[in-house]
Amino acid sequence: MLAARFASRAFPRTRLYSTAPKRSLKELVTELRSQADVSPIQAGQALKASDMDVSKALLWLEKQRTQSAVKKAAKVADRTANEGLIGTTVLSSGVANGRRVGVRAAMVELNCETDFVARNELFANLLEDITHTAAFISEPANAETFMQPFSMETLQNAPLLSQTKPSQNGKATVSEAMRDLTGRVGEKISLRRALTVVRDPFTSSQPDLALRVAARVHQSVFNPTQGRIGSLALLALKSKRLSEAIASQTFQDDLDKLCQALGRQVIGFPTTCIRSPPGTTDEGALYDQPFSMFIGPGNDQSVGAFLQSWAQERSLVNKDEEQSAGVEVLEFAKWTVGDVV
Amino acid sequence: MFRTQLATSRVISRRLYSSRATQSSVYACSRGLLRNCSRTAQPTHLRPTGVSRVSCRGYADAAASKFSRAKPHLNIGTIGHVDHGKTTLTAAITKVLAERGGAKFTDYADIDKAPEEKARGITINSSHVEYESDTRHYGHIDCPGHADCTTDIKNMITGAAQMDGAIIVVSATDGQMPQTREHLLLARQVGIQKLVVFINKVDQIQDQEMLELVDMEMRDLLSTYNFDGENTPIIMGSALATLEGRNPETGAEKIVELVQACDEWLEIPPRDLDKPFLLPVEDVFSISGRGTVATGRAERGVCLKGDEVQIIGLGENFKTTLTGIEMFHKELDRGEAGDNMGALLRGVKREQIRRGQVIAAPGSIKAVKKFQAQIYVLTKDEGGRYTPFMDNYRPQLFVRTADVTCGLHWPEGTADAAEKMVMPGDNVEMVCDLMHDVAAEIGTRFTLREGGKTVGTGIVTEILTFA
Repeated sequence: MLAARFASRAFPRTRLYSTAPKRSLKELVTELRSQADVSPIQAGQALKASDMDVSKALLWLEKQRTQSAVKKAAKVADRTANEGLIGTTVLSSGVANGRRVGVRAAMVELNCETDFVARNELFANLLEDITHTAAFISEPANAETFMQPFSMETLQNAPLLSQTKPSQNGKATVSEAMRDLTGRVGEKISLRRALTVVRDPFTSSQPDLALRVAARVHQSVFNPTQGRIGSLALLALKSKRLSEAIASQTFQDDLDKLCQALGRQVIGFPTTCIRSPPGTTDEGALYDQPFSMFIGPGNDQSVGAFLQSWAQERSLVNKDEEQSAGVEVLEFAKWTVGDVV
Repeated sequence: MFRTQLATSRVISRRLYSSRATQSSVYACSRGLLRNCSRTAQPTHLRPTGVSRVSCRGYADAAASKFSRAKPHLNIGTIGHVDHGKTTLTAAITKVLAERGGAKFTDYADIDKAPEEKARGITINSSHVEYESDTRHYGHIDCPGHADCTTDIKNMITGAAQMDGAIIVVSATDGQMPQTREHLLLARQVGIQKLVVFINKVDQIQDQEMLELVDMEMRDLLSTYNFDGENTPIIMGSALATLEGRNPETGAEKIVELVQACDEWLEIPPRDLDKPFLLPVEDVFSISGRGTVATGRAERGVCLKGDEVQIIGLGENFKTTLTGIEMFHKELDRGEAGDNMGALLRGVKREQIRRGQVIAAPGSIKAVKKFQAQIYVLTKDEGGRYTPFMDNYRPQLFVRTADVTCGLHWPEGTADAAEKMVMPGDNVEMVCDLMHDVAAEIGTRFTLREGGKTVGTGIVTEILTFA
């Protein structure tokens, strides 16, 4: 092999082109690669197909990329994709900057074939944009639960909206962007599931109610909102002096800490429901688990008891007030990559 | 109804199996603990040679040929994109070497059964193939990437399947892919120093200049990830042509070249005997009229009567002379790795030396107080914890014969460190802060225990504070 390399180096590199090229292929490839994110071999092919002209090669690449992506996507269509990541986005958490705001959050699972691709930045960026899109275009649901599965079809046909690169918005649909990634990494890229939580802000006629979304992932690679296990939990706060409490920075920080701990609890323990059915104890019931994922005093209590005393300590509950005041976990979702849906 | 029965029996068998897997992985850890190096020869029961589950776990059957130690052994793996022909290459290597009598031809279909095995919940899921070149014996691991990479890292940490080198497979038609970076990162993470690159499917590219570009690009990428891009052998051939027995100039000949490159470029890890002497102290006796004797099993190297040695760890660090070596109640002049020996030490009081320290060749190893490590946290099925833990978790750290309390922290600069948790089954890079100093170096294996349970096993990746 070495011999082959040396041999090819020994021979003069010039070739007989119809128009004599001024620069070597390697230089042109370097120039082309500085303008387009392609591998040298693709750059070489593009240059050869367009008379060693860099600007023509760029156009050629653009066209070629879509074509080859379509071809690749067809080739991998019947494979299974069970690796990947779960991404979360919270556009609006329900309580922010001392005020009650609306809730808008999403969780999406995007799959590929190997963990190598799942760890790649391109994959992470695509998932971030898809999650953002889902959260952005979702409508408030008129249903019993706040967390609603988001239609795969709607999501795939939606224009991809990017939070980080808004200039790219609307250039491609979600499914086109996924196909494009298939063209780049040669693996099947598929969406497994998506859910969104959307709720308009409470009006002033309900001053004692607020919602708060807690998103948490585990085993993230470099994007802290994505991981192999993801959870989304929805908390409800109810108190006569809610607006007063929310206005305080300490309360907001405490609430944040509580949300993080609840997220860890849901992920770290085999949590399957919020409360045990009456008369039984289920170790999957969140409220019956010891709250050991909370850092600080009181984590020897069960989650249920902890939430009660947490609300009391922050005077959300008054003695004369009705029972339902305080803080409560309304719903949660917990996903692991590759779960059978 | 039948279905449920079937399901149950499968669950039970999986449980049974996983407890066995625990035994073997714990065995691997403890073995690593004792000898610190389990590379020289793999015991047969850790090496799944066949496809059937029984043979994965059982002992080699008597009829099978004996494992010869005549040639040095090396574990290599193939890493690459799913479509780039890793498995074809593995099959091609066995085919070419089988013709020379150095392997048993393993066809594509047999190698590719590994993912199915994995689906049944088997821990070591990379398929293993073995073959011999003129000078070496190779264990070949096909890294599927279908399972999370963590399996390979876990095997590396526990010492179950240490990869000493790897063949990166890249298709000439695609060149490097975005995930080739992740392939190289994995290789780095499992401690591989040197790679060989195989550019596959060259028969589909007519243009020599294109192949040069692929070559150039691979060398750049290798250098970016701290491999020796300049000198790494890059072989261009076609695995499929080899299997189909056509075009020997891109087929079989290139495979021969590849194996030769592996022979010449990939280094055999030093054997235990060639390393500097180290004896972990297990017990100490005071023999009247003779002095203090420390016993233990020599982990590596050779010692001679009269050698100068250094006692390290648990707050001590001093030199003395080995005035006698004793084994089976007999005086010896020489002790070596693997020997259960007693070491008579000149002018050392009984209180100066205790279990957990090491007797080592002077200057060969240092005592450390803080290091960074790659840790695998055992799942509850493997006998580990049921629940996650957070920063500043304090288990007992066992390294060789030493047993010290250690605090686990996230490495400096970790975002969100106070909020991050570690779950059973995770692979994490963490900083171990020891209560007492112990002798350790990069590559030292240890286990973490809590309340009589092994909760994790790890390997030192970076020393942060020496004692």
